[in-house]
Amino acid sequence: MTRRLWIIPCALLAVAGCSKKADSGTDTAATPGTTTTAEALSVSGVDLGRTIDANSRVTDKTDDFKPSDTIYASVATTGTSPNATLSAKWTYQDGQVVDTTSRAIAPAGAAATEFHISKPSGFPKGNYKVEIMLNGASVQSKDFKVE
Amino acid sequence: MGLLDKLMGNNEPAKKADFSDVQSGSSSTAPAPAQTSSMGASAGGTYTVVSGDSLSKIAKHHYGDANKWHAIYEANRDKIKNPDLIHPGQVLTLPDIS
Repeated sequence: MTRRLWIIPCALLAVAGCSKKADSGTDTAATPGTTTTAEALSVSGVDLGRTIDANSRVTDKTDDFKPSDTIYASVATTGTSPNATLSAKWTYQDGQVVDTTSRAIAPAGAAATEFHISKPSGFPKGNYKVEIMLNGASVQSKDFKVE
Repeated sequence: MGLLDKLMGNNEPAKKADFSDVQSGSSSTAPAPAQTSSMGASAGGTYTVVSGDSLSKIAKHHYGDANKWHAIYEANRDKIKNPDLIHPGQVLTLPDIS
C-alpha cells in the first residue's frame, strides 16, 4: 500500500517534467518580429454589373449586358500598398482591345476599385472579356456577353 | 480558307467592330498614392456620373475635399450648365489640382 502511494507523486513529477519541456519548445518557436507584417496587396474578387454604389461595389451582378449598358467591373482588393496600379483591359471576342484603363491606388486595407465602359452607339453583340492587372501582372479575368 | 470563301461567294474581308467611341473611367475607395506636392488633392482623368452623384460628392471622393467641386465645375463648363444638375452617364474631366 505504501509503495502504491509513492508511485502517484512520481508519475505526476514525470508528467510535469514532460509538459515543461513542451512549453519551452513552443517559446523558442515564437521568434519576435515574425508574426506581424503588413498584408501584401492582392485582388480578392471581380464582379460585373450595370450599377455600382458609392463604395464602388456592383449592386446587380450579371455577365449579360445590353448594347446600351454601362458595364462596370468592381475589383475587390485586400492588403496595403503605398503605390499600386490596377488596370482593366477590355477585349472583344476577336481579340480587339476595346479599352484599357489604369488607376493608381494606395489602399490601407480592404478596398474596391471600379472600372467602367460605355459606348453611345451601342456595343456590338458578342463575347467580351475584362482582364484585371495588378502592377502589370494579370491577376483575374471575367467573361461576359452583350446580347 | 480562300477556296472555301470563293465557294461560299464570300470575298469580303470580315468587318471589324468599331470601338472608337467607347468611353471609360474608374473610381476607388482606396486613396491615390501620396503626391509630391504639399496639397492632398490629386485626381486627373475622367469620371462617369452615376445616379446619386453631386459635384461635391465627386470632389470629396476624388480630392478628399467637397469644396473642390468648383474645380470640377470649371473644368467641365462646356458640359455642365447648372452645377446643381448633373446626369448619370455624363463623363466629367477631373482636373489635376496641386
